[in-house]
Amino acid sequence: MKKYILIVALLLTSSCGKWLDVKPQDGIIRDNYWQNKEQLKAAVIGCYSSLLNNGLVSELFVWGELRADMVSSTLNTAVDEVNIMQANILATNSYTSWSYVYSTINYCNTVIDYAAKVMETDKTLTQAALDGYLAEAHGLRALMYFYLLRTFGEVPLQLKATDSDNSLDQLEKSTQDQVYAQIVADLTFAETHALETYGSTAQDKGRLTKYGIYALEADVYLWNEKYDDCIAVCDKVINSGRYGLMDGSVQSQWFNNVFYIGNSAESIFEFQFDQQQLNPFYSMFIVATNRFIGSSRVMDEVYGIDLTDATKKDIRGDGGSIRATDQMIWKFAGATGGTTSVARTAADSWAHWFVYRYSDILLLKAEALAWVERGQEALDLVTTIRTRAGAIDGTSESPDPGSAIDVSNYILNERTREFAFEGKRWYDILRHAKRNNYAHLEIMLDMVAMTAPGSMQQSIINKYKDVRSHYLPINQYELQADKKLVQNPYYQ
Amino acid sequence: MKAFYIILILFIAGCKKSPIVSQTSDEVTIIGYLENYPDQFSEFRKILNITGDDGFLGVYGTYTVFVPNNNAVASFLKSTGHSTLESMDVQKLKDIVKFCIIQDTINTTTFSDGKLSKLTMFGQYLITGAANVSGETRITVNRQANILKANIRVSNGIVHVVDNVLTPATETLAGMLANNPKYSIFTQALRETGLYDTLNVPAGSNTDSSRRWLTVLAESDSAINAAGFGTYAALKARYSHTGDPTQLEDSLHLYVDYHILYGVKYLADIVTSSSHTTLAPLEVVTAKLSGQHVLINDDDFNGVHETGVELERSTSDNSATNGVLHNSLGHFAVKIRNPVPVYWDVADFPEIRNLPAYFRKQAYAYSLTNMPADFVVPGPSTMTYSVGSTYVNGDFLMIPLGGPGRSTYIDMKTPLLVKGKYKVWICYRVQKQSNSSNNLNQISIDGEVMQRTMNFTTAMPASTAGEMEAQGWKWYTDPTSNNWGARLVGTIEIKTTERHTLRFTTLQGTQNNNNLDMIHFIPQDMDQLYPRFKADGTQVPRP
Repeated sequence: MKKYILIVALLLTSSCGKWLDVKPQDGIIRDNYWQNKEQLKAAVIGCYSSLLNNGLVSELFVWGELRADMVSSTLNTAVDEVNIMQANILATNSYTSWSYVYSTINYCNTVIDYAAKVMETDKTLTQAALDGYLAEAHGLRALMYFYLLRTFGEVPLQLKATDSDNSLDQLEKSTQDQVYAQIVADLTFAETHALETYGSTAQDKGRLTKYGIYALEADVYLWNEKYDDCIAVCDKVINSGRYGLMDGSVQSQWFNNVFYIGNSAESIFEFQFDQQQLNPFYSMFIVATNRFIGSSRVMDEVYGIDLTDATKKDIRGDGGSIRATDQMIWKFAGATGGTTSVARTAADSWAHWFVYRYSDILLLKAEALAWVERGQEALDLVTTIRTRAGAIDGTSESPDPGSAIDVSNYILNERTREFAFEGKRWYDILRHAKRNNYAHLEIMLDMVAMTAPGSMQQSIINKYKDVRSHYLPINQYELQADKKLVQNPYYQ
Repeated sequence: MKAFYIILILFIAGCKKSPIVSQTSDEVTIIGYLENYPDQFSEFRKILNITGDDGFLGVYGTYTVFVPNNNAVASFLKSTGHSTLESMDVQKLKDIVKFCIIQDTINTTTFSDGKLSKLTMFGQYLITGAANVSGETRITVNRQANILKANIRVSNGIVHVVDNVLTPATETLAGMLANNPKYSIFTQALRETGLYDTLNVPAGSNTDSSRRWLTVLAESDSAINAAGFGTYAALKARYSHTGDPTQLEDSLHLYVDYHILYGVKYLADIVTSSSHTTLAPLEVVTAKLSGQHVLINDDDFNGVHETGVELERSTSDNSATNGVLHNSLGHFAVKIRNPVPVYWDVADFPEIRNLPAYFRKQAYAYSLTNMPADFVVPGPSTMTYSVGSTYVNGDFLMIPLGGPGRSTYIDMKTPLLVKGKYKVWICYRVQKQSNSSNNLNQISIDGEVMQRTMNFTTAMPASTAGEMEAQGWKWYTDPTSNNWGARLVGTIEIKTTERHTLRFTTLQGTQNNNNLDMIHFIPQDMDQLYPRFKADGTQVPRP
């Protein structure tokens, strides 16, 4: 009897060793990954892939446009979306969820935490290349935190990868200054080590090059009123000679190159949707049951109509960003620009999400110039943009170059025309309104007075007078999952 | 053997029943919620006990309750001079409880600047808003309290915590006006016309349902003085033409009637509709929101802008037991307008003007999803804006009509028509697409059918102007053309001065090329045949 037991025990422990060792059979575990530079590159590209998420891009559009004045609701707009447009944002609103953004941040954190391991096993990976990949991860993380900073204000800073069930941290919120400092730290690292080119146009526009980092830095510096830093960084992009404004004399060609195909000479960084990974905009803008259209003020006030000469039109208006006849958001919906208007089909809806274009650099620099008393240079930059676009006389202003606020307001209006529906309008309004400790809150309140429904106008104006309402509340599920998070006091 | 017993014991010990976890909601009712937080809500709980309302709030239902916290109840007691809740009049406590309960679930996302959609159980409306005090904005209720915590979902409704007890209005509209010395002239006018009594009945006890809730746009003494009437006597002398203001046709009576709107309309409700009926028969006031200002009777009429009066926000929205009182900063009265002829070019509307590449240059076909706001068709056909010579202003509308392959009707919104009697002429270019084409249409205005029909395929019987007018035809273009004719479809009495809806309903036939150029509304005692219109739009008067 004992003999038999012994033999069985021997067999069990020797051959079934694999039984007790629970490794997944269809995946790679971390111990087997991070071995060579190809795996490192795949992980970095994976960070960019995580951006091509319909939930994330819908959120970026909603966060950047819905509370401003360029987008109108339709009969099919969801209740959560209507509530955001009417300043009735509750913690139960699905758009207050930041999980998509933190997913991408986690991928970046994973690269940052484990990339150095590769150098131990793969000796062909140079330090410069490793730093280049790390720069991309830092830069993308900074971009994600910049979105969170502008949307929520105070967010928890997760800088370590969440890579096992044991590493679920309960983090507190960091202050806006702390988040900002982290963003700048990430970007400072990235700007030193990022590569200038990856060898192909698609990669240069789809991954963060050094110039993409500069563009993001310009936006970040301007957000906290660091004008000289912003101008310096913009100049680096301008002087590189790699980017320029695409010619606008034939609207259909300009639209085709810049918006339909994307990755033009004007583009600096775009989310690379393509036929295998479509964007969410077909159901949002194009179908008969679309959820958003351009508001009526887009053609009336933003672009204007030249009543005397019908040949003069702003190429960014009808047939560019919007289709005047039914206010469809043409920038993402159009297959052709100009007078013949053919919309994209469902299989064709792969318009890129435009994060930074060269015209953004020019206008960010102009805004910084206006506030350091170089107003005339700022106006010259605005003129460059307007000339390329064929902007009509009705929308041109002639502010006094010495008056920073007047030049700045003109630049704000020009940004509305140039970046219509690109998810920047609300952030522009917030940046201008909060300048100098909310010295110009009336910029936001005047916009709100015009767009609010008549029966709620006074309530909404008073809500925006409370500056804490400019940021979204933390989603209720996040509050339940992380007990250390404290809700924005406006939303109690 | 021993092993057998051991195994048996193991079996018995191991056969435990697996516990079935029955899931019921552990959400509390409103009463349960109040009892869970006694440090905040013990006083209100006590009030509910005294009034006996804790019964229905503790069981199934859908209620929204604005609960005052303990501090609120304490300051309320102090303000009424009572030291304990028990010493207060039970009826008054019951009123207060009923005033803060609504028999529906209302979330803060549905709050507007005006009233909540349902009455409270007390029978008065609560209004909401948002107020910004030193940088902090809170949602306000009835201008009496701030919401401290909103949208607390409990099993039988929603709880909002407020920082003050909500008290209902106690005065009627008439009482409110009488007690406010700055409305002395207006109040005297109310008394002398007898409308004071109309405004003095609380909503709950009013047997006349149409006058249960009223809205008053009162003019303060300073507004009346600024218009040139120093005293009530001056106002009466100017308006009361019969000398007896109690008469319904007396102009002073109409003046006061014109300041009273049917229904309870807070400023948020006033701006959501462009016109409101008043107690004055068939007279409306127009309302608009200009920027942040609420303007009454601010209109563009016949090309002339008529400035309206503003309702002052800070002194308006005063709730009474039978309505709302607003303060008008200016003097306004019923406008006497004589009917003016309206020569309506139907192809001129804002949406086509916004397309300068097409407006008066080339044709533009509308689709069902982007029809201009003032035109409604049921489908399947729509309309095409077209250009052509001889048409007035060089453009016209080509409207396919006639079922089943085309829309059976089209609705159009007319320009502002002053009330009065008008003859209606339909100006069109005759076209018969094929030998058998027909398109017989009935015209109706606001649902009232006109006396004659018109047919887009029927040409004018050209003879002399007089004979044609007798048969109901006229030339309307200059120079005249027998293919461009106007058909008299009848006389309509326009009852209110505003925009109206005109409908073409096809009775027989169907065709695409129905070419509509203009529609004329000419007061019945005016020259019907002139002016005629050149292709560039100039009017040609009678020679």
